[in-house]
Amino acid sequence: MSNGLPLVTLRAATLGYDGAAVLQAVDLDIRAGELIAMAGPNGSGKTTIFRTILGFLPVISGLLVRNCTLSEFGYVPQSSALDSTFPITAREVVAMGGFGRLKPYLGLPGREKQRLHDVLDQVGLAHLAGRSFFSLSGGQRQRMLIARALMVGPKILILDEPLSGVDPESQKAISELLLMLNREEGKAIFFSSHDLRMVRSVTDKILRVDGGRVVWEEGSVAQHPW
Amino acid sequence: MVSFWEILSPSFLLFPALLGSVILAFVCPLVGAHLMLRRRVFLGLTLPQIAACGVAGTFWLQHALGFTHGSGGERLLATAGSLVFTLAGMGLLAYLDRRATGSPEGRLAAAYALASALTILFIVFNPAGELEILNLLKGEVISLSKEELKLLAIVYGVVYVGLVLFRREFLLNSFDRDLSFLLTGGSAQWSFWLYVLCGFSIAIGVIMAGPLLVFGFMVLPPLAARTLARGMSSFLSLSSLIGIFIAVLGFYLSVRLDLPLGPTDVAFGCVVIFAVYAVQSILRRGGGVAGLIVFILTLCAGCGARRSEAPLDLSTLGKGPVWLSSVRNGTGSDLRLPATNPLRSLGEMAGKLPPESRPTVMDLLRGSLQRELQHRQIAVSLPEERDVRLQSFPFDAVSAAANARTANLSGWLWLWEIRRWHTDGRSPLRTVVEMQLVRIDNGGVSWQRQIIKTVPLSGAARLDETSADAIRDILREVFGA
Repeated sequence: MSNGLPLVTLRAATLGYDGAAVLQAVDLDIRAGELIAMAGPNGSGKTTIFRTILGFLPVISGLLVRNCTLSEFGYVPQSSALDSTFPITAREVVAMGGFGRLKPYLGLPGREKQRLHDVLDQVGLAHLAGRSFFSLSGGQRQRMLIARALMVGPKILILDEPLSGVDPESQKAISELLLMLNREEGKAIFFSSHDLRMVRSVTDKILRVDGGRVVWEEGSVAQHPW
Repeated sequence: MVSFWEILSPSFLLFPALLGSVILAFVCPLVGAHLMLRRRVFLGLTLPQIAACGVAGTFWLQHALGFTHGSGGERLLATAGSLVFTLAGMGLLAYLDRRATGSPEGRLAAAYALASALTILFIVFNPAGELEILNLLKGEVISLSKEELKLLAIVYGVVYVGLVLFRREFLLNSFDRDLSFLLTGGSAQWSFWLYVLCGFSIAIGVIMAGPLLVFGFMVLPPLAARTLARGMSSFLSLSSLIGIFIAVLGFYLSVRLDLPLGPTDVAFGCVVIFAVYAVQSILRRGGGVAGLIVFILTLCAGCGARRSEAPLDLSTLGKGPVWLSSVRNGTGSDLRLPATNPLRSLGEMAGKLPPESRPTVMDLLRGSLQRELQHRQIAVSLPEERDVRLQSFPFDAVSAAANARTANLSGWLWLWEIRRWHTDGRSPLRTVVEMQLVRIDNGGVSWQRQIIKTVPLSGAARLDETSADAIRDILREVFGA
């Protein structure tokens, strides 16, 4: 699978906001079935890479190629980015992942309900579906957002700091879930973290982002205190 | 006195106003809920004010361009002005949100202040139709005509259908714009359509009901619903249901207590919010189901209750006599009836006759009751005919009886006061009259009533005809037939 065309390619790309460069000379290929972590301190530009790949930001210069449609990306934002005053159940949040396939005026068809049930089972939280989304713990919310991304039926999952702000037990559960999705379902996964030690426990393909540059992992953890 | 169930009857005089309130209260909370979810609740305050500014601005423009005021198309003109200003204001605010730096709340506050100031200035510059414009800005939902009700139903129907059909897209766009962009191909278009629906509902709502009621219905029901709802579906449904609850009970309170509808609805809406928070706090502490039931029952208990409204029992009067005091006027206006005689009008214009010589509502009321009592074989006299010092009596029974005794009156003293007798020429005539029958020998009150009447203007060409209709209704209540 990983020998085919990359799902996403960035070549000599300069990325940033409103023409101001945050990262330069970014080279990156994400192929089907790959599990890639992106590590770097806060504010180093990890989210900028995600937002560019997802089309929220234009490339300032260089090349960006996507070999899948935007609706085939499963995006998992940080749950703290969502408005916690929203009165919404976990089931309603997860169901949003299927909205792209539905006609505006129709109710949720049976196959979507089944799919909703399946993805909730997959993340192991079907029993919490009726609870208020923001009453769940940080780890449970993160898994619900992964379920929402799976609801899309994605070729590639992009996760922004899925392991931050959650307890060690949830970190372990989320890591195992990502590994399972990658190994058993062949999903390409690209996630970020500022905790290199944690990242290493999940994958050995690590993109380091720091000082306006990106490099593939070299050296030991001790050389990179973040 | 009107009971709760009477106002729900289609034959009730103000039923179209109730229907209009319910339509507003059903749809506005849905619009407000979306604004609240987007943290743009102040848009719900600013846009109605911009709409009001549009109404005043259009009339000022009409005046400045020299068109005649009062040609009958005011509502249409006001609607057009409201719509244009609302959509333009919304477009400008959206543009600034994308382009300008600084806080969006600050921009909304500045826009609100500017719109409020311009509204006043437009009215000041256009003295020709000041009163009429003020009425339009106040938004008298109570005087909705059938055509206006139809327009309201159509526009709000379209807004409701739009919000329901595209509920998923609007929800996704409000909750997570990034995902909305990925799944629906563009979050901006859904924001645009949502704001268009908001704009139409606000622009039309302000014309029909005024900025206060529109903002109240947009904000208060969702605020109450949010504390109760766990999910989006229940949040939206509860918002509308609470809106209807506030509209119906607020309307009932307004009619029963003779209060203006808009402020009554808004004040009652705030009470509902506090009540919901209180109930939720009780429920959280456990064992609150009983409390909730008691609360609902208490709230409903007053609705069907009727105050004692016994008609006058003529047998208590015996042989009389009944002294009819002059009617006190507590309204603040002179309640003088228009002249029916063209010669009198000419005389007044020529300064030969003072306007004070025209009869008043008080005269009409006393004369009618006097005739009615005499017709029923009750001896009736006027106190001032016995003693010229008795031109008026205090409304307090004991003091009034004491005054009567000093003039050697005996029997019964009829005291009354008009608390309200008002119409702006479009709305129905609303009246409140207090009456009491006092025993002169001991100052005891043997019968008393407060009679509230709302009389339509249709069919009566002038105030004296409408007042005569109202007096007929009042006497019917007094005698129970």
